[in-house]
Amino acid sequence: MKIKVNEVELDVTPGTSVIDAVFAAGHDVPYFCSQEYMSPIGACRMCLAKIGAPRKDRATNDWILDEETGEPKIFWFPNPMATCTTQVMEGMVVDTISKDVKKAQNAMVEFTLVNHPLDCPTCDKGGACELQDRAYEYGSGESRFVFDKRHQEKHHALSELITLDRERCIHCKRCVRYFEEVPGDEVLDFIERGGHTYIGTLEDGLPSPFTGNITDICPVGALLDTTSRFRGRNWEYHHTDTTSLDDPSGAALRIDTRTGRIERIKAGLNDDVNKTWIDDGTRFGHEYADAEDRITRPMVRRDGTLVETTWADAAREIAERIAGMDGTRIGIALRGDATLEEGVAAKALADHLGSGRLDTAPRPAASVLPDGAAATLRDVATSDALFVVGDPTEEAGIVDLRIKDALKGVEPAPLFPHGPAIADLRLKERMPRKREILTICAPYRTDLMKHAGQAHVPPATSMVDLLHALAERASATVDGGTPSGAWDDALGMTAAEADALITRMRSSTRGVMIWSAFVSNDPRADEAARTFAKSVGAKTLILGPMANTAGLERISVLPSHDRYDYASMFTPETKALFLASLDPAVDPKVADRLRELDLLVVHAAFPTATSALADVVLPAVTGYEKDGTTLNVEGRLLPVRAAPVEAGTATDFTGVVKQLGEAFGTRLEGRSVKSARRVLRKLLDVDAAELPTTGQPLPPVRGKASGARAVREYARATGDALIVPSMVRVEHLDRNPHLRAERGDAALRAHPATLHAHGLTSGDVVTLPIGGIPRQLRVTASEGVPEGLWLAPTLPEQPVGLYDANLAAMVRERSATAEVA
Amino acid sequence: MSGAVADKPDTITSRHDPRFEVTLYKYVGVEGAHTLDAYLAHGGYGAAKKAFGMEPSEVVDLVKASGLRGRGGAGFPAGVKWSFMPPVDGRQRFVVCNADESEPGSCKDRYLMEDDPHQLLEGMMIAGYAIGATKGVLYIRGEYYHAYERLRDAIEEARQRGYLGENVMDSGFDFDVILHRGAGAYICGEETALMNSFEGLRANPRLKPPFPAQAGVYGLPTTINNVTTLASAVHIIEKGADWYAAMGTDDSKGIHHVQISGAVNRPGVFEVPMGITYREIIFDLAGGPKGPAKAFIPGGTSCPLFPFDDEHLDLPMEYAAVAKAGSMMGTGGLIVIPEDQCIVDAMYNVTRFYAHESCGKCTPCREGVSTWLPKMFQKLLAGLGTPEDVDLMEDMVSNLRGTAFCPLADACAWPVQTSLKYFRNEYEHLAQHGTPLHPRKDRWQS
Amino acid sequence: MIELNTIRPYFEDKPDVLDEILGRYPEYGRRSAVMPLLWEVQRHERYVSEARIVEIAEIVGLTATEVRGVMSFYSTYHGEPVGKYHLQVCSTLSCKLAGSDEMCDHLEDSLGLVPGETDTEGLFSLQKVECLGSCTTAPVLQVNDTYYERVTRDELDALLDALRRGEMPTPKRAREGDNAQLGAAPLAGEAFEAGTAADAALADAEAAEPENPEGGAA
Ligand SMILES: Cc1cc2nc3c(=O)[nH]c(=O)nc-3n(C[C@H](O)[C@H](O)[C@H](O)COP(=O)(O)O)c2cc1C
Ligand code: SF4
Ligand code: FES
Ligand code: FES
Repeated sequence: MKIKVNEVELDVTPGTSVIDAVFAAGHDVPYFCSQEYMSPIGACRMCLAKIGAPRKDRATNDWILDEETGEPKIFWFPNPMATCTTQVMEGMVVDTISKDVKKAQNAMVEFTLVNHPLDCPTCDKGGACELQDRAYEYGSGESRFVFDKRHQEKHHALSELITLDRERCIHCKRCVRYFEEVPGDEVLDFIERGGHTYIGTLEDGLPSPFTGNITDICPVGALLDTTSRFRGRNWEYHHTDTTSLDDPSGAALRIDTRTGRIERIKAGLNDDVNKTWIDDGTRFGHEYADAEDRITRPMVRRDGTLVETTWADAAREIAERIAGMDGTRIGIALRGDATLEEGVAAKALADHLGSGRLDTAPRPAASVLPDGAAATLRDVATSDALFVVGDPTEEAGIVDLRIKDALKGVEPAPLFPHGPAIADLRLKERMPRKREILTICAPYRTDLMKHAGQAHVPPATSMVDLLHALAERASATVDGGTPSGAWDDALGMTAAEADALITRMRSSTRGVMIWSAFVSNDPRADEAARTFAKSVGAKTLILGPMANTAGLERISVLPSHDRYDYASMFTPETKALFLASLDPAVDPKVADRLRELDLLVVHAAFPTATSALADVVLPAVTGYEKDGTTLNVEGRLLPVRAAPVEAGTATDFTGVVKQLGEAFGTRLEGRSVKSARRVLRKLLDVDAAELPTTGQPLPPVRGKASGARAVREYARATGDALIVPSMVRVEHLDRNPHLRAERGDAALRAHPATLHAHGLTSGDVVTLPIGGIPRQLRVTASEGVPEGLWLAPTLPEQPVGLYDANLAAMVRERSATAEVA
Repeated sequence: MSGAVADKPDTITSRHDPRFEVTLYKYVGVEGAHTLDAYLAHGGYGAAKKAFGMEPSEVVDLVKASGLRGRGGAGFPAGVKWSFMPPVDGRQRFVVCNADESEPGSCKDRYLMEDDPHQLLEGMMIAGYAIGATKGVLYIRGEYYHAYERLRDAIEEARQRGYLGENVMDSGFDFDVILHRGAGAYICGEETALMNSFEGLRANPRLKPPFPAQAGVYGLPTTINNVTTLASAVHIIEKGADWYAAMGTDDSKGIHHVQISGAVNRPGVFEVPMGITYREIIFDLAGGPKGPAKAFIPGGTSCPLFPFDDEHLDLPMEYAAVAKAGSMMGTGGLIVIPEDQCIVDAMYNVTRFYAHESCGKCTPCREGVSTWLPKMFQKLLAGLGTPEDVDLMEDMVSNLRGTAFCPLADACAWPVQTSLKYFRNEYEHLAQHGTPLHPRKDRWQS
Repeated sequence: MIELNTIRPYFEDKPDVLDEILGRYPEYGRRSAVMPLLWEVQRHERYVSEARIVEIAEIVGLTATEVRGVMSFYSTYHGEPVGKYHLQVCSTLSCKLAGSDEMCDHLEDSLGLVPGETDTEGLFSLQKVECLGSCTTAPVLQVNDTYYERVTRDELDALLDALRRGEMPTPKRAREGDNAQLGAAPLAGEAFEAGTAADAALADAEAAEPENPEGGAA
């Protein structure tokens, strides 16, 4: 419909808010309470404008005309209107610049500043503060408020990660609304009323996995990321817009660095992927990159000890030691969050050496690439029937949030030239959620289950059978057939529930099935999941264990034969190993094997059990410090960009290959990001150097995934310990003090009855061998864990799945009661 | 109606008119009138029975024809509001009674609920029938404990004897009432804040649209009316629309309840025909001012005040006339301010009320009404003000006008703004001399 | 949470009370029970402690933060215990014009308390409150849930004495206008003659009508 903003005429879609129309017209209006992707509430009153519209005569349905001009007469609202909560109307006229409007805006700035301390010189938000900017643009520059301002707590720790300055809060309610509207965890609220209103919590910390986003959306310096407080001024930061390698969601990040170190991580904007949200593991889990013990130079073992040396020397050493070695006896393994470019480099190295022993870890037994209709995150967000097998909150937090989008049932709004809608009027506070569209199945109670219409916790050992039974039942009823065979309720779902699920998925038009390592670890479960999805006509989204597991599979960074996979690298057949960012020596049996190798080359950012055994250690960059490309969970290619972090001579794996090539006297493909991208262009028909920050969908492979579908049986269907996904990366926990303080140590979760039976109390610290790896864990009681089962978080070296816990060998390191005393 | 509008001798506009009969308040103040038996004894629930014999739309039309306007303050035509309900679609619908009565100067609803609770329940039942709502919500302010008890007992008695519940009075219509107590928040009188409060949320007003008819209580179709609006419906059904419309003026028909307080000889609640003059109310009903008066607030403290002069005393109590003169009928809570009361002190008192009651949602109200304006008054009253402060206050209240999320900020700004208009000299006196023109005096009767 | 484990939940032994309150609201409106649950606790414990907030949150299925947010919005729920007699003086305009400032001063002097305080014995709490909806019978004093209207100095002294003795006197109902108390209760139907209340009040009004010497001007 046609409207006019000041003198600009424009055409807007019905339903648009006036504030978005104003911005679309290239004009500006200040605002504090509106926030992209959240409900407009009209609270700050900063966005006031004068608004008028023509009216129709009720009787004739004709426009009432202005007698003088003969044009439709404009009826002005008697009061200034909040543009964020007003919808456009045909013929509407908006005035944001006249004297009256300026006076009102000026007054709102003045009111907003009444209780604001104006401590900008010492505020972390200074230079990036919406209030500072708007007060400058729309304020009168002087304050007529001469009284003492409201004194409140200035350093209130809402949690270990977030600090609240109550004096600076301008009550925009963004943070409070955020918790209700986005993660659905109402852990923050306004307390008191009127001029006494403040935000606070009665919970212990802020129990939600998505708390950090409030520090991004707070328009002032009231909510601050504790890890970066008092570190630097905004104008001193260097910003790097990149993609998270923390999990497979591919969330956009903005890394703020200063003098060679990461000061903080903020969410970037990617409308299709993470909107403007990231999870706390991703945001606060970066401190490790700055740890004291970073490896910054190559080291070579001389007379039993590792000594620092140059890259050229280290490379020469390697070249010399593998010269004449049987190439098929050399293994190369990358961690699943390596970039595609690193994958190309690793392949080039393997090819050069003539080795088929190339793999990424952790890698599930089954493919993580969809073979039917692949779902995008947008498909998830607009789905009308969701079936989730797994724990997306911990696996890829953004998937959790996009599922919650779907429960609201509001189609994503198209982007404006100025970005996402500032005020999407279809979003409301406390919207009813369509929980009934969500079914979740996992071997323990997951956080997301509280939002689900149906939640099933089958015994961990019968997940496979349950999926099989579901697939069978779904297949049998494809054309209205009747289910054959008996149904076993002991699988964790009744026949009626199964039928309801099948009917719901099948009758929907936008059904999506999501699964993760719990399924992919077992090829039979994977097969069943794919059959089920196909027979109910659902698109699929498969959560890989690591950020780029899918991408590396897609470009076949895979063993030439199944018997050459990662596990085979720790058999006597292997003589030399290149391990990038992996630490298999946490398993003592593997460590023994590594000692027997002729050559162990470790590419790592930190000393590990494995690097301690290495002959050559090469310094590695972290995921924040490399250029490259990753493929996210929905098959979107996304750019990874290096933030300027001081890391000595550390490189990514392309750098390793470059140095080795030089030592070998050859130029390998993948010896630089640029050369790797030439290979990628051939493989994927995409110029990775040209990717926009928001990435580009990669057309899915038709039919079977290109990667070999391995048939290894990693996961066993028995065991009393379940390794579960974790948003907080356990391997970095020691080097992430703030995150650790808030989220706690790696937990051994069990039902209170189970703990009781073993004489354990919440808070005890134990070392428990799980699947042969001694794990140090803090005991935590949880009603959500089935009795008799032990839950521990995954490590790259210990993928999600069932294992045996050696309870007889459990050692209590510290007891909770002793600690209290 | 054409021709002479000035005089309409055919309608009742004075308590002196012998045709006027106290109706809603007939049993208010009568000991024992609150029981179901007493109510039935004088024909109680007869109107509901009569309504059940009509089509719901006929009931709505009848209320429309009566000209009944909302008595909660805004004066929206009740029948028109009822007709906004969407077509029946199987969803639960609600009729909500706003019994939060917290506007300073108002107390008409309390007496009605304490002494004649069944009249209100019957009114809710009729409204419920008219709009297709089988559930009523009666939201009563927390301080009204006596009225709460009376209503609680009345509801229980009515349930037990078939006047509430399934198939009331064998009519085939189900109707029950949820009685819900507030807990001390003026803003809960604002209809959408009331709904939030009822739902167990913080009582901030909601965005409109959607209006209650589309999404009210629990997001379901809802009609909300004041206590006396609903009670009026009983008598309109019983006596007809013409009976009601025979009182008042073209613009404002029927009955209102004036609650007169402040410096008058006989404060109290009076049932009056619309169109009655403020002079008649103050002088004839309330026995005249106690000593010289300088101002009166016509409808609760949220209304701009009027100087106590002939022009304003002769105004008819009528929505249009009062609005034209610059104020509002509001709740009919009329407060007379004596000559020797410092107006700055009085307006500080009013401001302090709104400062205390601001919900804190929007900036002008939270920072202006709830924080800055009271501080300005304190400064002035402490003798520390300057003439510039008076200008600043005037500018501030003009900035508060029409900019806030809900009318509460206006409600504070209006009386202050008009006090500055009519009694600026008192503000200036304080600013210049540091002492009020009218010093405090003991007003407590012994 | 920790408190909960050591303090017995309020509703543990009152399932009937809990059921009655929850039963008032439809299933989808369970959250509505927050306010009545807070009232129930406060009526018996004179305040709502944090442990009770947590308990109510669990009953209704909210976070404790939300319940705190709701509770703290209202001025009549207390987070700290108040005295046995909670004296609430209306201090808004109509009451002010009827002497509530002076009444409050008198209470402060008699009790040795300033508004917002509770005496050491926990007998009296004094508080200034906003309009109680009793403006035509100002000044008004609310003691716990009971209104005392048109309170005079002598009446107030007598009331305090009674309260000190542990007695709550029946409040007088001194009204004027159409809500005036008209004497003995007519219980039979025929006694409810049309116009009784109105006529009486009007007659009263007319009798008292002054000559209006000032002609109404200020
Ligand atoms: C700040 C504010 C306070 C209000 N307080 C009350 C009140 O106490 N009682 C009431 O009936 N209406 C009150 N209203 C008016 C209601 O919002 C609403 O208009 C009324 O309940 C509708 O009923 P009616 O049409 O029967 O008057 C208030 C409005 C505002 C803006
Ligand atoms: S903390 Fe920030 S986001 Fe929250 S209300 Fe205050 S200003 Fe708004
Ligand atoms: S009122 Fe805050 S942005 Fe419109
Ligand atoms: S002003 Fe005191 S009761 Fe209204």
